[in-house]
Amino acid sequence: MTDIPPRHRPKLRLPIAWLGILPFALFALLFLILPTMKIVVGAFQSPAGGFTLQNLIDLNTDSIRSAYWTSIKLSLITALLGCAVGFAMAAAVVFGGLPKRIRGPLLTFSGVASNFAGVPLAFAFIATLGPAGLVTLWLKTEFGINLRAMGFNLLSFWGLVVTYLFFQIPLMILIIIPALDGLKREWREAAAVLGATGAQYWRMVALPILFPSLLGTFALLFANSFGAVATAFALTGPQLNIVPIKLFAQIRGDVLGNPNLGYALAFGMIVITGLANVTYIVLRTRSERWLK
Amino acid sequence: MKIRTALGLTASLVASLSATVVFSQSLADIETAAKAEGMLTTIALPHDWCGYGGVIEGFKAKYPEIKVNELNPDAGSADEVEAIKANKDNKGPQAPDVIDVGLAFGPSAKAEGLTQAHQVATWAEIPDGIKDAEGHWYADYYGVMSFLVNKDLVANVPQDWADLLKPEYAGQVSLAGDPRASNQAILAVLAAGMSTGAAPGEAAGKAGLEYFKALNDAGNFVPVIGKAGTLAQGTTPIVIMWDYNALAARDTLAGNPPVEVVVPKSGVLAGVYVQAISAYAPQPNAAKLWMEYLYSDEGQLGWLKGYCHPARFNAMAAAGKIPQDLLDALPPAAAYEAAYFPTLEEVDANKAAVTGGWDATVGANVE
Amino acid sequence: MTRIFAWAALLLGCLYFLLPLVGMTEFSLKMRRGVYSFDAYVKVFEDPTFWATFSYSLTLAAATIVFGVLLVVPTAYWVRLKLPQARPVVEFITLLPLVIPAIVIVFGYIRLYNTSSFLPLTGSAFGTDVLLTMGYATLALPYMYRAVDTGLRTIDVATLTEAAQSLGAGWFTILTRIILPNVLVAVLSGAFLTLAIVIGEFTMAALLNRPAFGPFMQLLGANRAYEPPALAVIAFAITWACMGLIQLVTRFSKHERAKA
Repeated sequence: MTDIPPRHRPKLRLPIAWLGILPFALFALLFLILPTMKIVVGAFQSPAGGFTLQNLIDLNTDSIRSAYWTSIKLSLITALLGCAVGFAMAAAVVFGGLPKRIRGPLLTFSGVASNFAGVPLAFAFIATLGPAGLVTLWLKTEFGINLRAMGFNLLSFWGLVVTYLFFQIPLMILIIIPALDGLKREWREAAAVLGATGAQYWRMVALPILFPSLLGTFALLFANSFGAVATAFALTGPQLNIVPIKLFAQIRGDVLGNPNLGYALAFGMIVITGLANVTYIVLRTRSERWLK
Repeated sequence: MKIRTALGLTASLVASLSATVVFSQSLADIETAAKAEGMLTTIALPHDWCGYGGVIEGFKAKYPEIKVNELNPDAGSADEVEAIKANKDNKGPQAPDVIDVGLAFGPSAKAEGLTQAHQVATWAEIPDGIKDAEGHWYADYYGVMSFLVNKDLVANVPQDWADLLKPEYAGQVSLAGDPRASNQAILAVLAAGMSTGAAPGEAAGKAGLEYFKALNDAGNFVPVIGKAGTLAQGTTPIVIMWDYNALAARDTLAGNPPVEVVVPKSGVLAGVYVQAISAYAPQPNAAKLWMEYLYSDEGQLGWLKGYCHPARFNAMAAAGKIPQDLLDALPPAAAYEAAYFPTLEEVDANKAAVTGGWDATVGANVE
Repeated sequence: MTRIFAWAALLLGCLYFLLPLVGMTEFSLKMRRGVYSFDAYVKVFEDPTFWATFSYSLTLAAATIVFGVLLVVPTAYWVRLKLPQARPVVEFITLLPLVIPAIVIVFGYIRLYNTSSFLPLTGSAFGTDVLLTMGYATLALPYMYRAVDTGLRTIDVATLTEAAQSLGAGWFTILTRIILPNVLVAVLSGAFLTLAIVIGEFTMAALLNRPAFGPFMQLLGANRAYEPPALAVIAFAITWACMGLIQLVTRFSKHERAKA
């Protein structure tokens, strides 16, 4: 059989070739695209079935607004702190002159820790920083420091921030280390030859190059924190006013009194996490230009 | 003569009709139909609540052909009613067959058309005031509101509602449920209100909301649902819960940490729960069989083992059906004599006041 | 100077990560008053519900992995071989589960596949199990696809396929006897990551009301004091084991390739 080059017979070959990804397309359609569409369409539907913007307008009640604001605040702060601490640790390993053997275990541990979100993480933090936790009691007996009197309570917004960082920081480390690796040593040396100090190098060369990566990872961490529900639910229960928990309660039982409002709530989540992820992808493509 | 015969005929007709309403299916019929259905879906039945763990095991042992599918044990009464509503068109395993809710939730569920009537074989032994005449809902057990205190973290065990407001209990007091959905929490608010002297019903409901507002402002209230686990972990060292739950928690913790169950001196409130079969139950006959089991001697004693007073308590005690050791393990009768059993109207009014007013008055969310 | 800062940053970070792990282990050993013991672990392992939910989650994890491999390997292969123009679309779809939170996906499932829909999956226990497995496969899709795609990138798919075809192999033979063994390492990485995801997953299982390990852990956490940290230790150990196996498998393959 001599093979005839495809471009002489495009009409015959194309449909059959596309058949090959039919299972995948079917799976994506049934279990990813259609459910999402159902939510998006439902957000714009009234109980009678017609098109309406009322659901989105109804989102503007006190408790829902404060839920979104708390979620956004929580995601912003954990993303910021996650980026800062993760960057510090990654930079320490890549540039700090530390033994090479630390890198592998740090990466492995980061892989484990970034997946250790959810119910067990909440237990771990309650056992450590909770009112009867290991560190709390140790501080009280050894140093007389009463965390609660100082205003720290694990079951609060800031307690949640501290807990979320456990999977945000490793995610940052995992993503930023390849980016830091991309900073060629030659650039550092070239800057030194031209008379730049370390600080100037970072300010004028390294950080501008890393900026897309940093911002992109920030967006990813933001989306990661915004959608997380299991950890918060296990830590504080259904009385924490963040959007995922509100949605959880709404799905379990119509606590908001309006089923279509649940769709609007979910739609709001999709918009926010969608924007954050698009930002990440766009910035990642830009940063890859420099770090090839 | 004719009138008397006519009357006699009518009377016997009425009697036979009501007899068919009550005994339209014999127990054997229900059993066969239930076994054919093969599954029972329950909701909101924690195994430590009134010994439900043992009761469910007893049911499974008696009817091994029926699988018991347990949904969300943490659901509150309002969540259970919502689950029926959400699954009206769904006959799958997410739809509950039977619910166990607070007294105030029974009539409201019936009014919304979410229940179906069934009168168990031992119907006559359930006291009148706590069952629906048509059989849509019927009391199952009761207990009194108490405090469960972790003695490791609380030096001075509080004895009354007023004590809880003291500054030494900062960040320690919690409810055992969400006061917008859980009957246990809603009645805790009622009990707190009654302790301030308000009349049971809407007045005590509002007074209770004010009490919890003061508790929250003082920083003593922890807006986390308190359970045995959170008590021992230190998150909620004082939990306001039913005495039967407190006693069961005491058994589970087995002294580590040591706890004390305190029935408050004032504001002693007795709370009744009711059973109902969902109007949309996917397995109605299994549901009926479950009810027959619960109200049989075996079921009632199962609840007694969990420190609850079952609905047929008085009748069974009079007939000598209760073993002495179970009676001894119960909370002291003195507490129950002082306890106030609110009427249906009072719990209704309280429920409306609390669920509607909690967010506005107290507004305690995890911040 | 930088080295001091570097060590400080690293050690403080490690402290933050180690303390919760130490805390949960210590708390889990405190079941018997006053003395350290493994009572909490004994209690956990004696609980029949633990084994029931754990084996349920393991079964679903296995089903998810098998389904994922059967879906992703042929698709990635086909896209690489025949349909490079479909690549951006397929990659975009595999990134969607990272964009749309799991809670929104499962909300869509519940509303879409109830008993009055064209595919009444929630109408039976088995149907709901299938739905949950599909949900897990969706969650694991980005990782599975990325792993397999990276693996396929390192082998010359076109040449291998042509060679096999010239020897008379059909598509099925090519996939199972040529492609799959060569991407086994990547597939195993994806498989272990899927296992870690499924075992700890809470949101989908809780909202679909299935007796999985995640909801079991959450329930125990509310009602028991010392067993939850024991469960957390077990969950962490499993996650660590999965990651460790991935590392082992990748290092094993690097040695193999070096030999060739």
